[in-house]
Amino acid sequence: MSDPSSINGGAAVAMVGKDCVAIASDLRLGNQSLGVSNNFEKVFQFGDKTFLGLTGLASDVTTLSQVFRLKTNLYKLREERSIEPQTFANLVSSTLYEKRFGPYFIGPIVAGLDSKTDKPFICGFDLIGCIDFAKDFIVSGTASDQLYGMCESLYEPNLEPEDLFETISQALLNAVDRDALSGWGCVVYVITKDRVVKRVLRTRQD
Amino acid sequence: MNSIAKQYTQGNVNPVSREINDAMAELATPPQLGLAPTLQLPPISQPTDFLRAHTDDATNPDCKIKIAHGTTTLAFRFQGGIIVAVDSRATAGNWIASQTVNKVIRINPKLLGTMAGGAADCQYWETWLGSQCRLYELRNKERISVAAASKILSNLVYEYKGMGLSMGTMICGVTKKEGPTIFYVDSDGTRLKGDLFCVGSGQTFAYGVLDSDYKWDLTVEEALYLGKRSILAATHRDAYSGGSINLYHVSEEGWEYHGNYNVGDIFWDIKAKEHSFVNVET
Amino acid sequence: MPGLNFDNYQRNQYLASKGFSQAKATSTGTTIVGCKFQNGVVIAADTRATAGDIVADKNCEKLHRLAPRIWCAGAGTAADTEMVTQLIASNLELHSLYENRKPRVITAMTLLKQHLFKYQGHLGAYLIVAGTDPTGAHLTSVQAHGSTDVGEYLSLGSGSLAAMAVLETNWKPDMTREEAMQLCSDAILLGIWNDLGSGSNVDLCVMEIGKDANLYRNYMTPNVRIAKERSYKFARGTTAVLQTSVRDLLDVEETVIPFGQKDSDAMEIEA
Repeated sequence: MSDPSSINGGAAVAMVGKDCVAIASDLRLGNQSLGVSNNFEKVFQFGDKTFLGLTGLASDVTTLSQVFRLKTNLYKLREERSIEPQTFANLVSSTLYEKRFGPYFIGPIVAGLDSKTDKPFICGFDLIGCIDFAKDFIVSGTASDQLYGMCESLYEPNLEPEDLFETISQALLNAVDRDALSGWGCVVYVITKDRVVKRVLRTRQD
Repeated sequence: MNSIAKQYTQGNVNPVSREINDAMAELATPPQLGLAPTLQLPPISQPTDFLRAHTDDATNPDCKIKIAHGTTTLAFRFQGGIIVAVDSRATAGNWIASQTVNKVIRINPKLLGTMAGGAADCQYWETWLGSQCRLYELRNKERISVAAASKILSNLVYEYKGMGLSMGTMICGVTKKEGPTIFYVDSDGTRLKGDLFCVGSGQTFAYGVLDSDYKWDLTVEEALYLGKRSILAATHRDAYSGGSINLYHVSEEGWEYHGNYNVGDIFWDIKAKEHSFVNVET
Repeated sequence: MPGLNFDNYQRNQYLASKGFSQAKATSTGTTIVGCKFQNGVVIAADTRATAGDIVADKNCEKLHRLAPRIWCAGAGTAADTEMVTQLIASNLELHSLYENRKPRVITAMTLLKQHLFKYQGHLGAYLIVAGTDPTGAHLTSVQAHGSTDVGEYLSLGSGSLAAMAVLETNWKPDMTREEAMQLCSDAILLGIWNDLGSGSNVDLCVMEIGKDANLYRNYMTPNVRIAKERSYKFARGTTAVLQTSVRDLLDVEETVIPFGQKDSDAMEIEA
């Protein structure tokens, strides 16, 4: 596999529930078949309730997460408020499209709650910034095909935070178990109106 | 003039007599006891290049036919016989096609063959090896030696050298005159006798554990655990190995199956017991 | 520097030369059509976005607003149609503010073709531009390389052949608004059913002379997913958790206390 976006491996998924969203990723960083790290989180926080999942080429994942940290910090200084998921999605889109003819090899997903309305928001992107707005779930990474299958069958609308956690976890867990380049641990964020719960899952280690 | 003469002198032109002659000729030649069955080749000038172009994902990642690869298998000799341990994952590209593959082929009650590389190649030719060994037994009223069995296989793959067979296998068995014996045979035609082998994409990881704890004087229990532990290490680090571990012990009485261990379960058990795998958070 | 950044271009070319394949962008294997009628113009599109053989988005929006009464349908590379459309929409508004005139379809089309020609086809945007302006109703198409077409009825995208079959069969001059809407949605439906790159729903936009444009998002939904027969909800506690960390978000209340006013008893200065 000499596709840059599947050298390091990794998977991420986001789902909408009832007045909540969840975003999750695996923890593996590999070099082709060799597992290198099992604490490479692919979910980043850029506001109180704004989260970004980044899969793909690990160097680009790190670079972009730092680029977005810079940009969201500057945004916060200028606006004196943290960035909304919707706004952040457009920031991601423009940042990626700026590199239209030399793209970063990544597959970002955004999840969060609007700070004013607490309305759930998720979306995904292709590597040059085309936004995919979805009402239900967004997947990305080397296990995306498997995740599509899991989510299409497991997902149902209006899940309570606790149930959403189980659904997104099982979708991710079972998807990465069918992908050689993903797994080695998973992390799940469930975002509700007044709290963010982060859970590290116990997974297979092969 | 000549052509007219030919017409009358050459008698075999009528189809009935030709059929009789053909049948006679067939009887005259001794029945072929060919060692290898013949494989059909695609009707093109370079079948080997054709196969490689469409199945070798190392040189051509976009090839459409992805042959199942990726494995960790090991076998080692020790005081109490032979331990054979293998994982059970089959992958096609990055897709995990199965977590429950049987990578040990029971050639006969005294002989085991391990499977790495092309799953179909190994399965087919080692099953075929089983029938050759049985034929040998019937002909010679004596069980085949491990050396002879492995040589049948290595000679066979050598005939097909360069044509795309992909297998890395260990033929393990015990005979009266040889004792416990392991032969490594691969599709390049290599055939090696040895005490300890690891084969497959996770071989280096398995060697790492196996070499550091291996002693000739291991008890059977210790040896079984070492085999299991070595494969576990490989399934952890190698993306293309995993699923479960199959364990075998080969002794004078023949091989004995020591069970199937799901990596998802035993990993946490062994980690807790040994305080090993400290890179993984609990 | 505004505009596109080519920093990674060389890196990726190098990677490509080393045999690394290029990742695929979302493309809208698409059916889009447009058709004029007595008093205006209609455009329509399907709503499927694909990445390779995967349906990336089952209900995406391919109808973009260039100006309040000029809309466009996009096929090709999804990011390009979206970004090019947004850019031209901005320029069009600036232009109409500067000229103090309503934007025209011909202007939008020219802006688009000049931009796309500049990029020599590397921006994979194939657009049907339509709308009403002071000069009447117009229907045009723009290709990625910068060429343009004007027509009474047009179709573009991977399902354009299927759609054109309908347009060629059923189109007639001087249709009513309803007839045009029917024709366009029929053409898209044929694309949805017969082209693998198109699917899901029909989006439609009607632009009538002297009236506001009407966007009919999901004008037809012939592919509604049937309700699942069973719930796959898991019992709480199914997933084994190693660590949990909670971050409570506190609501900050802000109260403004006024001071220095006349009626307040603080800060009184003796006269």
